Amino acid sequence: MPRRVVVVGGGAAGIGAAGAAKQTDPQAEVTVFTEFEDVGYSPCGIPYVHGREIPTFEQLFLATKQTYEDVGIDIRYETRVNRLDPAAHEIEVEGTGAVGFDSLIVATGFEYADPGVPGSDLDGLHYVKNIRRAIEWDPVLEDARVAVVVEATPLGLEMVTALAHRGLETHLVDPRPWALADVADPDIMQPVQDSWADMGVKMHFNTPVEAFLGEGKVRAVKTPDEELPADVVVICTHKQPNNRLARNAGIKIGSTGGIIVDQRMHTRTEGVYAAGDCAEIPHGVTKVPIQGLSGSHAYAQGKVAGTSAAGGDRAYNPVDVPWGMVAGKWMIGGVSFGETTANALRFPYVMGVAEGISRARYYPDMKKIRIKLLADPGTHRLLGAQMVGGEGIKERADFLAMAVRTGITIEDLATMENVYSPPIGALNEPISLAAQNALAGLKG
Amino acid sequence: MTVPFFEWLRSNSEEYLLEASQRDMATRYGIEAPVRDGSVFWRRIFTPVYRLLPWGLRRSIMSAMPGSHRRWMRRAPP
Repeated sequence: MPRRVVVVGGGAAGIGAAGAAKQTDPQAEVTVFTEFEDVGYSPCGIPYVHGREIPTFEQLFLATKQTYEDVGIDIRYETRVNRLDPAAHEIEVEGTGAVGFDSLIVATGFEYADPGVPGSDLDGLHYVKNIRRAIEWDPVLEDARVAVVVEATPLGLEMVTALAHRGLETHLVDPRPWALADVADPDIMQPVQDSWADMGVKMHFNTPVEAFLGEGKVRAVKTPDEELPADVVVICTHKQPNNRLARNAGIKIGSTGGIIVDQRMHTRTEGVYAAGDCAEIPHGVTKVPIQGLSGSHAYAQGKVAGTSAAGGDRAYNPVDVPWGMVAGKWMIGGVSFGETTANALRFPYVMGVAEGISRARYYPDMKKIRIKLLADPGTHRLLGAQMVGGEGIKERADFLAMAVRTGITIEDLATMENVYSPPIGALNEPISLAAQNALAGLKG
Repeated sequence: MTVPFFEWLRSNSEEYLLEASQRDMATRYGIEAPVRDGSVFWRRIFTPVYRLLPWGLRRSIMSAMPGSHRRWMRRAPP
């Protein structure tokens, strides 16, 4: 009898899991249940279609429904799983009844945190998640004049940039003192905020939303200072793990609200795995579990869960979290954590900061780069980094993530070799300059 | 639904430690500090006490909390 692998959730983790399970055991019956109309597209690309950097939503689809049928993955669209019974190895599927499994992968993703203010149930509050809803909503932007984006999370940054790029008068409302303040440092975000100001964005920091106002449909956002009239409101609150199915089944949940997993993405319940935004993963440096990572993390976790669920052997590593994005007219990024998080944890660190350039200074379109490195004061191993620049941020974040993982020190980075070629790299690598400054600080 | 104790503890400690750090950073970088309201316990008691503890003790407390980290013993082999 073939192995029955069931996946709940059709996002990056769920589809990654299904593909890996089928690859590991081609005879396995692999079934994916998703509440949505589609799988195999990039939700991360949605803001760029709204911003008109990408012409159509169709370009975000990476595979057709036929693609999955052809490889033997049975996807049940618009199908809700109501209950999980781990002891009986069954799920209860709406409209179908009990479905048995040998291995189950929970990949139920995330939900946006409830803004928790009056008017949160009004029509017209838009959440960026599902591509069909985005396609339906996009024409609204044609006639809209004023947009309010609530909270400067990573998605909030992308939506502010997209809506301003689209020509809307865009307001950003956030209770924290600068954009992306729970992740990024103020000096890293300042150029982004300056560029938003150039684009006409009105920023309202240290400003909580008190209510959404309107009769049936939202017409304004109320803050302690004013009422901001809005044709559209985009809610970009924090992503919380969607753990209802797992929690109700008695599967152990960690302090982040994410499902507890081991390195094979196995939960503490026999035969049940979890991956993606619904699971929590230890941070490589602090060892503290974290949740709500990127699509690439979710996909990789799904691959591990799918392989394990189908009888294979694959393990996932603690995460050092390289990240990067475009915000305003800049690229920002980093790895592990920056000054704000280290200071919050009171994690001991020394720091080096440098400003460099991305190409030879005489080469056209040379861009500035600011890099901040944090290192352990005892071992001098790199702990984290943050950057802002005009180009080359993603590659440096990936490189520095490997540096953190492998225990590279700031002495290593201070003496690193680097590519020098006028169109693509300057004589002095900014990472090396920042490391040299960190060492100079240590020597007093 | 009642939030389990460790989720409540993590959520609040994260929020208030970050807020305190954002206040420090705002001072360091010369920008407007966050608005202060909400819980007296988390701001006036928890955050200062946390900051007084040695890092080793803080790390031990965090490690003792339930979570995925307790089931991850090492990096995966290549």
